[in-house]
Order: sequence, then C-alpha cells, then structure tokens
Amino acid sequence: MQTCNLYYHSQTTFVVDEITTVIKEAVESTIGNSSYQHSKINQWMSSIVESSLSQLTKLGKPFKYIVTCIILQKNGAGLHSASSCFWDNSTDGSCMVRWENKTIYCIVSVFGLAI
Amino acid sequence: MANQPLPLSQETLAQFNRSMSREAGLSGPPRRRLGSISTRRSSKDQSKDQPHHRPLFLRSMTVPSSDSSFLSPNVSNSHISMGKRFSFAGWHQGGRVSFSGLYLQQPIQEVYVENTYRMGPEPGCHFSASRTQQILQVTLDSYLDGVCYSPDSCSQLCQMLADLVLSKLKDVNPPRYKLVCQVVVGQSDKQGIKVASRSLMNPNTDNYTSAVYHNHSLFAVALVHGMYFE
Repeated sequence: MQTCNLYYHSQTTFVVDEITTVIKEAVESTIGNSSYQHSKINQWMSSIVESSLSQLTKLGKPFKYIVTCIILQKNGAGLHSASSCFWDNSTDGSCMVRWENKTIYCIVSVFGLAI
Repeated sequence: MANQPLPLSQETLAQFNRSMSREAGLSGPPRRRLGSISTRRSSKDQSKDQPHHRPLFLRSMTVPSSDSSFLSPNVSNSHISMGKRFSFAGWHQGGRVSFSGLYLQQPIQEVYVENTYRMGPEPGCHFSASRTQQILQVTLDSYLDGVCYSPDSCSQLCQMLADLVLSKLKDVNPPRYKLVCQVVVGQSDKQGIKVASRSLMNPNTDNYTSAVYHNHSLFAVALVHGMYFE
C-alpha cells in the first residue's frame, strides 16, 4: 500500500531532480562546447526548448509544462531573473537550471502545472 | 457490563444529531472543510475538536444529507456494531477514542469534492492575452521609468516586479486559471541576449503574453502564461 502511494505521489507531483537531469542533457547536446554566435542563436534556442519539451513529454506525467530559455553572451553585463506563480503548491513546481561555458550563459526554467 | 453502552448511545445520538443539525445548513463547503480536518486529525491522537470527528466518520459511510433525522437510524446501526468493542477500559488503553466515547477503528477517509462535469472554461472566462499584455506593459513602464541598473538592487527589483505583476493579474484572473509569471531584468550593455519560451498546453484554453521595456541602462522582459486547471 505504501509503495503504491509513493509511486502515485511521484507520478503526480513535480520531481525537481528528474527534470534537472533532462534539461542539462538537452542543453549540453545543443550548445555543449560552442562559442556565442549571433547567427546560430535562433537555431540553438529552438533546439534546446524543443528537445527539453519533448523529453519532458516522454516522462508521461499528467502535467502541462512551460519551458523558458535565456541565452546571454558573456560580456560583463548583469542579468536577473525572477518568477512568481499562482498555483497549487502541493502538485505544481518549477526548477531553474543554470549552465555556462566560456562565452555563453544559459538559464532554462521549467514550470510544471498539474492538470 | 452489557448494559453500559446503552445509556451512552442515547447521549451520543443526541450529541450527533445536535452537531449534524449545526452542519445541516452547509452542503458544499463542508466537504472541503471536513477534508482539511481529517488531515489535521492524523497528526494528533486526541485533539480538542474531537466532537467534529464523529460526523466525519459517518459521512464517509452514508450519503450526506441535510436532514439530520434521516441519519439517526444509521447512527444507531453503526453504534450497535461498535458497542461490542467498546468498554471503559478502552479509554485508557492506546488507540483512538473519540470524545463521545465511541472507539474509532479506522482513520477518517478523505472527502472528495463533487464532480462539476465541467470540460472547459465558461464562455467569456478565458485567459485574455490582450488585456494581460496591456496590464504588463503599463506595469513595466510605470515601475521602471527612469530606473538605472545597479547590481545590488536589481535582484530585489526583479522579484518585486514579478510579485507586483502577479498581484495585478490575480484581480483580473478568470476562475480556474493558474498563472506563471517570469520577469527578466538585465543591464543594457553591448551584449546579445535572447529569451525564448515554449510550452505544452491546450491551445483552446491556455495562452501566454509578454511585454518588453527598454531604457538606456536596463531592459526588462515579462512573460505570463495562463493555464486552465481542469
């Protein structure tokens, strides 16, 4: 009975670790060792966001997802990102993944809302 | 010993009927309220609001009705079955004993809300992307007008903006819609930046909007998604 409840709980709540792994893989595979190139940015963005979303869909959980990606060139400028949400705390959640290399900062935030 | 349960049953019946008639007026809300009491109860064995638990136990067994007298035959039936296990010794032994004197065997079952059979938002109650965009733009313009970027204060500014936007949108938010609001504030330098978003949602009911503000020292991007909660 308890294992059933635990399984049900993991299937219907937002599990941050799982999502973080998925997102990190998506980012690494797209911009892994690349330098910032203005011409390729659109392509990278689409690729990161689409692959993240498709991987999240494959998890098969009853969630609606919002994936936001910010790519910033490392130039000494500062950046802040904040989010506030109106939802059900027990079932919904978010996670932010920061990734960087020598020339690029990448911030991916994922919001999962239970249906 | 066999006679002892009987006088108590009259008392408990009276108490139960009194508490039922108190709750008889409310039909919708108590379902949620009772549910919340049930979870609280699980952390304590004998809490002070024990009298309320009695009606909870029976609600899970019978169809709730506002007619308190209807339930009294059921009360007596259940009590007869409980009477066998009840004894005064039960008060001092471990386990759960209600204030009314009945030995409670099983935890209170979760009370579920009735099905509304609603498949989507009502017409006219959809998330309005255009109205939200206007609110976002006005908020950003008014709040960030003349503000200079500073690394110390901008993180707080960003969070404050996100909360402010959310509070403004909550006023106009249609029922059953969840909101996700994200604000990005950055220094306006000679760097390239791109913000993109994609979501898995139902295009018939859900939507998103964004607004951008730009001045000589900083830029801000606000992104709001409205998701219908089925």
